[in-house]
Amino acid sequence: MIPQSHFLILSAVIFSIGIFGVLTRRNVIGILMSIELILNAANINLITFNKFLGTPDGLGQVFALFVIAIAAASAVVGLALVIAVYRNSKSILINKINLMKW
Amino acid sequence: MSGLMQLLSSHGIPQILIIKGAFYSIAALVCLFAILVVASPNIFHSAIYLAAVLIGVACVYLFLDAEFLAVVQVLIYVGAILTLLIFAIMLTADIRSKTPRQTLRRILISAFAALAALYAFINIIHKNPWRSAVTPPATAFSLAQLGKSLMLNYILPFEIISLVVLAALVGAIAIAKTERR
Repeated sequence: MIPQSHFLILSAVIFSIGIFGVLTRRNVIGILMSIELILNAANINLITFNKFLGTPDGLGQVFALFVIAIAAASAVVGLALVIAVYRNSKSILINKINLMKW
Repeated sequence: MSGLMQLLSSHGIPQILIIKGAFYSIAALVCLFAILVVASPNIFHSAIYLAAVLIGVACVYLFLDAEFLAVVQVLIYVGAILTLLIFAIMLTADIRSKTPRQTLRRILISAFAALAALYAFINIIHKNPWRSAVTPPATAFSLAQLGKSLMLNYILPFEIISLVVLAALVGAIAIAKTERR
């Protein structure tokens, strides 16, 4: 079947693309999307190791479920913050948001 | 899926080749759409490409014997988080307008950082002798086992995560609501 390293390489590629997105995007929502990519890469890794190491209680899959829940919570809070900031400063570009700078 | 596989097998194509072909084409599509997510100038198009990436990752989960997680991925990510993202985009940005072009200097530096990280990861992955190369993978982990371990071994983290999600929901409503004067 497909070797373990190929799943890991796929995960590394998605992770790097997510890092690139976090660094280059100016839109806060774009940064949130890139963070979702990074979390997905982590999930692929967890499930890969769960399959190939064969843990008896499925720790990898349980942790992947927790990661999905945390991702949902972070997206909800992040988007609420985006909407609150947009209402104040009429912009969601990160170089325009200097509300907490002195 | 299995019917298609039988049809292809009856024409002399071995099953392992079908699985491999499916995996590598899905992986290539996922990488392509992930690049489009971070490179597309229009943020709304990025959200649509992100949906494609998430569905592709759900298919990758199927190759790893994680059927439940594949379904959860489609339900939570594509059903809930992506809808939320699209709502936020429509509430905050004029989607017809082009987002400002990014400066070349930051793109070069960021691409260098991302490629350096990728090089380090692939180096580590290639140096390590993975177990799959020597021994066959363990038996598949079933959905019933997942439910049991979630309700017996990991009950405390499970309850804590539900509290975290509840706190996030309440916090999001408190942050985003308009103040009445």
